[in-house]
Amino acid sequence: MAVKFFGQFLVEKGVVSREILLQAIGLQESVNLSFGATSLAMGILTEADIERVHNAQRIEDLRFGDMAVKLGLLTGDQMMQVLARQKNTHLYIGEALVKVGGLQADALPKYLDYFKADQAQYITDTVTIPAGIPEPKVWEMVVDLSYKMLTRVALLVFRPEPCFVAERLPAMDLYAAMDFTGDISGSYLMGVTAATRAKIAKAILKEPNVDNEPKEVLDDTVMEFVNVVMGNIAAKAAQIGKSVEIAPPEIIDTPDGIPVPAGHKALCFPVCLSDGDRVELAVFIKE
Amino acid sequence: MKKVLIVDDSISVARQLDKILSESGEFHVVGHGKNGMEAIRMHQTEHPDIICMDMNMPGMDGLTALRTLVALDKNVKVVMITSLGGVGDKFTEALRLGARTVISKPFEADNILNILREM
Repeated sequence: MAVKFFGQFLVEKGVVSREILLQAIGLQESVNLSFGATSLAMGILTEADIERVHNAQRIEDLRFGDMAVKLGLLTGDQMMQVLARQKNTHLYIGEALVKVGGLQADALPKYLDYFKADQAQYITDTVTIPAGIPEPKVWEMVVDLSYKMLTRVALLVFRPEPCFVAERLPAMDLYAAMDFTGDISGSYLMGVTAATRAKIAKAILKEPNVDNEPKEVLDDTVMEFVNVVMGNIAAKAAQIGKSVEIAPPEIIDTPDGIPVPAGHKALCFPVCLSDGDRVELAVFIKE
Repeated sequence: MKKVLIVDDSISVARQLDKILSESGEFHVVGHGKNGMEAIRMHQTEHPDIICMDMNMPGMDGLTALRTLVALDKNVKVVMITSLGGVGDKFTEALRLGARTVISKPFEADNILNILREM
């Protein structure tokens, strides 16, 4: 019911043990070398060059290869050669499991098909991200996964409204928020009415009636929903090579709405529920 | 009946897990901790057979607590239950630190019960 990677899926299904998976991951780590280590193995960078690139990366946020080119240590062609070597020698986890004896080679396609079928529900549908937002593919995934979780976890029936860039989020009964850092940084926010909060609480607690639940519990269910959405976004981001760390969720008390913090852009992707209520969804993207 | 300690900063998740485990009649929930520090303290006082623990918690997070729990008791049985289960690096780190397995949120009751029964 969540975004997973192949090794985790196989452990959950009891196909391989945790010990075998760890062996396979260890093998992957010994084969799948970093850009710097691959360049070193190819004899086109020295250890001193690698250290120079790492030092420069502390000052400027560039990928290793791009920084090596910028410093004049590699040509563009050499960078492409290293990337090609990495791609051609990459050992996938399924192959690694076969090599360590955890899976039969002829069984691998069958399990990959099971895995793809399990994860098909999380394939990103088309979402239009407004012009001017950097890395639109990443935010397309964030918006789409939010919609899918609203349906499958919060059990809400809704119609998405077009995405837009805003200066301020409107006042709502409650906002839950979660900060994230890494290759993308900012905050994820979800604003709901009290009625929608009750619907989310019913879905999260799996209770038919939440009328007597204290506010603390009802608010917590909205925070937990945001936690589940952001955790699955972090998992999906990892699949496209983006590292995302998330902070614990929190409730923001803002009777007048939320202004977009300086140095951020707000991508809003609200939805309209079948009962007419709105759910305000937004990410404050650090520029 | 196996004794289970639940560690999660979310009240709603703790309640959900408590309900699943208690209604099964096979597990006795001995307490709820809200962060890693409470997990370590309650492991000493409640002596659970299994600890179900979140990763992303305020104060001491789940992976830090797991490292300490394993150092204190190499036979401790910890299952991480987290929204970050699908992040390969987190999953691997948890297993390497000694977690018995990692379950992703949202979770299914049957999956949780099957895993805990086998421990």
